[in-house]
Amino acid sequence: MSDLDDFKATYFDECSELLTELEEQFAAIEAGERDADRLNAVFRAIHSIKGGAGAFGFSALVGFAHAYETLLDYVRDGRVELSDDVVVLCIRANDIVADHVKAAQTGDALPAEYGLDEKARFDALARGESLAGEDAGGETLDEFDIEFTPVMVNLDALSEAADLASDTFEIAPMQPEAGHWEIRFTPYRALYARANDPLLLFRELAALGEMQVRAVMADLPPLSDFEPFAVYCSWEITLFSPTLTEAAIREVFEFVDGDCDISVVQLGAEGDAIPTPMPAPIVIVDAETARLRTQEQDLMALADDEVSELLDFSPAPVAEPVTRQDSFEEAPGPSFAELAAAIEPRPVPERVAPVSLNKPVTAVPAADSEENGARSVGVQSIRVDLDKVDRVVNMVGELVITQSMLTQQMDETLRARYTELVRGLEVLAQTTRGLQDSVMAIRAQPVKSVFSRMPRLVRELASKTGKKIKLETVGENTEIDKTVIEQLSDPLTHMIRNSADHGIETPEKRLARGKPETGTVRLSAEQAGGNILIVVEDDGAGINRERVLQLARDKGIVAPDVNPSDEQIDQLIFAPGFSTAEALSDISGRGVGMDVVLSNIKKIGGSVHVRSWTGKGTRMTLRLPLTLAVLDVMLVKVGESPYVVPLSSIVETIQCSRASFERVPSGERVLQVRGEYVQVIDLAQRFNMAGESQHEDRFVVLCEAEGSHKVALVVDDIIGQQQVVIKSLEENFERVEGIAGGTILGDGNVALIVDVQGLKATIVHKNAA
Amino acid sequence: MEALGLRDDMGDKSAIAAQNSLQLIAFSIGDQTYGVEITTVREIRAWNGATPLPNTREFVRGVINLRGTIVPIFDLRARFGDGQTSPTKNHVVVVMSVGDKWVGILVDAVSDILTVSRDDIHNVPEGNSIDTELLNGIVTHESRMVGLIDLHAVVSGAKVDA
Repeated sequence: MSDLDDFKATYFDECSELLTELEEQFAAIEAGERDADRLNAVFRAIHSIKGGAGAFGFSALVGFAHAYETLLDYVRDGRVELSDDVVVLCIRANDIVADHVKAAQTGDALPAEYGLDEKARFDALARGESLAGEDAGGETLDEFDIEFTPVMVNLDALSEAADLASDTFEIAPMQPEAGHWEIRFTPYRALYARANDPLLLFRELAALGEMQVRAVMADLPPLSDFEPFAVYCSWEITLFSPTLTEAAIREVFEFVDGDCDISVVQLGAEGDAIPTPMPAPIVIVDAETARLRTQEQDLMALADDEVSELLDFSPAPVAEPVTRQDSFEEAPGPSFAELAAAIEPRPVPERVAPVSLNKPVTAVPAADSEENGARSVGVQSIRVDLDKVDRVVNMVGELVITQSMLTQQMDETLRARYTELVRGLEVLAQTTRGLQDSVMAIRAQPVKSVFSRMPRLVRELASKTGKKIKLETVGENTEIDKTVIEQLSDPLTHMIRNSADHGIETPEKRLARGKPETGTVRLSAEQAGGNILIVVEDDGAGINRERVLQLARDKGIVAPDVNPSDEQIDQLIFAPGFSTAEALSDISGRGVGMDVVLSNIKKIGGSVHVRSWTGKGTRMTLRLPLTLAVLDVMLVKVGESPYVVPLSSIVETIQCSRASFERVPSGERVLQVRGEYVQVIDLAQRFNMAGESQHEDRFVVLCEAEGSHKVALVVDDIIGQQQVVIKSLEENFERVEGIAGGTILGDGNVALIVDVQGLKATIVHKNAA
Repeated sequence: MEALGLRDDMGDKSAIAAQNSLQLIAFSIGDQTYGVEITTVREIRAWNGATPLPNTREFVRGVINLRGTIVPIFDLRARFGDGQTSPTKNHVVVVMSVGDKWVGILVDAVSDILTVSRDDIHNVPEGNSIDTELLNGIVTHESRMVGLIDLHAVVSGAKVDA
């Protein structure tokens, strides 16, 4: 059963992507973007989850997802208004779906009654809007008007195949009677995109009873307007079986639910449901044509007078993987005659066993699930081992260096002599640059994938603590290296828990303090210099410093005779074994959380800083390295060594001879820029570079550190701008103060990246000491 | 005949070698010979400059680019307290793995590959703290004293005020 396990793994991967998408969509819906596209995306996601769950027999998940989907369907066609209450219910439902998925994945059983409340509310909502159906999938009978004659196609005894193929054939209008069901089936394009085949559905239906199928071609445009991927064909099916129930019919269509319009009407039960004749050509779909795809079916269905035009019509290759297109491969352009020949009498119900879509081990649903993932999201993706990507990243780095070394070897004489070589090198430079960009893009991922897990956390925290909390996210498209992102989830969870549990006050307290009832937790990401800053901010009570210090003293973290500054007290919350929770809650307060944050962040070379304003809130800032990100830098010289300064932190550069330096009483130099006095750091001195070069034509690089504090770096020379790949110093060495990392220049030498923020911090530190 | 004799010599030792011998890469700093276990050595390359690292001790010569990764270079002479090496193109960097890190050690020259018996490794005489700190042991090979470098000790304490 390892095949099945593989499918399952893929399914769960997809589920997590789909759940992420759900979160995103609802975040937008919650913010007021209630357009149809979002609803459709939600619907698709739930539907895909349900479909896969059905295939693997996760019945609890299927049951819940189905009820949810039904509600969504009603919302989509306007029968249920998408009010705020409904949105809240849906968001709750997403969480339940997520729990069901998790339970299915881990094999843990959820309590039987889990989600039943919500399910009941779905049903109530559905009924509240004058809906007839008691069962979740019910449709109103007067929803559509039937305007066709059911035609008899006896699938068991089609002997006049040739006639059938080239012409319409006689149909006897059927008398309505009990046990006759009229099904109208209008597939959307999505149905085919998901590799569903109507024929398989018809076969299943045929297994239920005596069936007649009629294609409705009324929408078929002239050939000139014919769009290969559009769906023009729908079907009317009459099914007879004395024991047939609507539920059984609906079950057949369960897998394509949402990708088509289905109506099921019992004939004879409704007086006005007696069909009226409609002249339409007929298509017989049988076992042979089953392997042919949409276009062929549409082609076959074309009216006679259009057939001649069609004879040299070759269907455009379908823009999807050829694996599914085997019939196309064999017959790239089937003419009508070939198609006709392909149709021969086949007693479908007897000869062809109904293909059960509930068995994922068959090839069809496998292709189906792959299609689902790829097409519905609109992004095709593969999963690649990170090591493989890293290997490519490193080799590309080498290639870039080699390429620039080659370019540097070209002097003027060589350039004049070997123009072709020069041109080749230029192309090589472009290509390698492109290659480098592409490879880096593979490694970097938006923080969205982590951020999108947080709304749920906040909702749960809010409901557990009885607080009202709103989560704002900013900068979720900021890209960080994949490994960093993976390490980010736990610390962020702890930080947000901390904010919600300890920071935000209860609604009563907030109102008493004149704050809005709903507390805000703000999660933001931005690139700042050579770092990514992730900030978790809340507008809560702030850190209770007295209490923190008292606890720290009690626990021996701070010696009794030490009087730490406010800022130092704030940092104490990261000390191992520290907890300020007055009452230990099951959310946070076991004294491990913030400790974990610090160790996790340090592990990936980052740092955590906390600032708190009593009564106003707390801000925790994670500074993360851009390990493998590409950085735009300015290349400078300090002493004889190359250094790079992240371009994003540079405000301007000034020649020293034109800069106005002043001295403050301590003897330190400051730079006056447009009325502002800025601290000066002479990098040669700061880095203890030998050969104190004090020549006049040095430069000031004015940088902006965190919090718009400026700092003026004095360097010996400015060489130029370029893009570099950040390499870690810690990988083989250790962290060096004032240095954010290294990079490899075109000549193969290492340049060090100036850590502007870190430089400033060490200065402050030294002053304090 | 001499070559044959040497091979016989090796042959005699090979039985023990499997169990009890140690292969060393020997390198020199001035007149002294030092060795590291050959399995730790990743690469030997000529000195081609290094980018100095600020705020590190004098025995950290800087970092080099080793096929896309940044590797620190330690000046072994300076590590032993004999002042910085003035490296030329003839000086050699021995790149080794220490734990999960790769480091380079700047030495004057790589001289030999030695096979020694573990039984012949002597303890470092007490006395000079630098010796006991940086050497794992001493072995005599062809009447030369070879100090076995403790790589972990060599690369530690690199920062100025750690």
